[in-house]
Amino acid sequence: MTLPARLLDAIASAAVREGLADAVYTRLNTPIGTLLVVQGERGVVRLGFPEESADLLLAQVAARLGPRIVASDRELAATRDVLSAYFEGDDERLDVPVDLSLVRSDFRRSALTALREEVGPGDVVTYGGLAAKVGRPKAARAIGSACATNPVPIIVPCHRVLPGSGGVGSYAGGPDRKRRLLAHEGTLVR
Amino acid sequence: MSAAILPPFWPLVEAHGDELLVHARRIAGDAQGEDVLQDALLRALRAYPRLRHAEHLRAWLYRVTTTTALDHLRARRREVLTAEPPPIVVEPGHYDDGFETLIGVLPETAQAALRLRFVEDLDYDGIATRLGCSAVAARQRVSTAIRTLRTQGIPA
Repeated sequence: MTLPARLLDAIASAAVREGLADAVYTRLNTPIGTLLVVQGERGVVRLGFPEESADLLLAQVAARLGPRIVASDRELAATRDVLSAYFEGDDERLDVPVDLSLVRSDFRRSALTALREEVGPGDVVTYGGLAAKVGRPKAARAIGSACATNPVPIIVPCHRVLPGSGGVGSYAGGPDRKRRLLAHEGTLVR
Repeated sequence: MSAAILPPFWPLVEAHGDELLVHARRIAGDAQGEDVLQDALLRALRAYPRLRHAEHLRAWLYRVTTTTALDHLRARRREVLTAEPPPIVVEPGHYDDGFETLIGVLPETAQAALRLRFVEDLDYDGIATRLGCSAVAARQRVSTAIRTLRTQGIPA
């Protein structure tokens, strides 16, 4: 693409200003790779790891929020700052609005909401422990599915959910990334 | 909910933005190209959710850009006209804001060339086949027609 960046920025910002954007996305370089962050009117709706297809990911958002999706680093500056502050260790709270409308069941949504509200940086919980928090102590496997399909990893911290049997368990971004995120937060996993 | 499943908009801009800018410049002039493209893409965004299908999106973006570029030309023409008496009196009341009206001042052969290029989105080989001339001649007809519109022919 050869369009000047300032022209693309101007177009994207004008689209947002005029209420023509269903969602905005940005790519952010981090120590765990380049993340794709998509945000709608209500908050971050999707966060993608580098291995995920950007086309599929944006199509997934388009199907839910609408096809008028534009790219803009400037319009997502606040969200970029919050994520950067997390990776730089300045502020690990990741205090940014999240939109869980890509989550397909109420149970999964309530599990992810509880996880975000109750398991802060430096903390961990087991699948069974999180199941108990949402009043379904036997639903550890369902919690596993909720984490595996978490549309907003890192911000909704499914990396802090570990198997009760020990080890780091699985992760949408791969177990290595999970281990690195936990180490970054000061949690050591066997 | 729109009837069609439309792809995310921005990848279309990334895929076709540069050629649309070239196109906008060719019609509206180099200095206006970026303004025209911005305006055209915002118009396209406004209309996008109402599209009935997701086919020929590149050709659709070309059409939106063409219309926008011609609108810009007309607006500039109007500024010039208010500064001095109009050299040609155009009959009022028949302007329908459409492509056909815009090109109506041109000779029929020029109109045909522009229609094939911007409405049917043919390349110059395709236009040549339809007009029964060479590709070079087809390109010449299109560019002469655009030049004529740019310098004199936009009805106010």
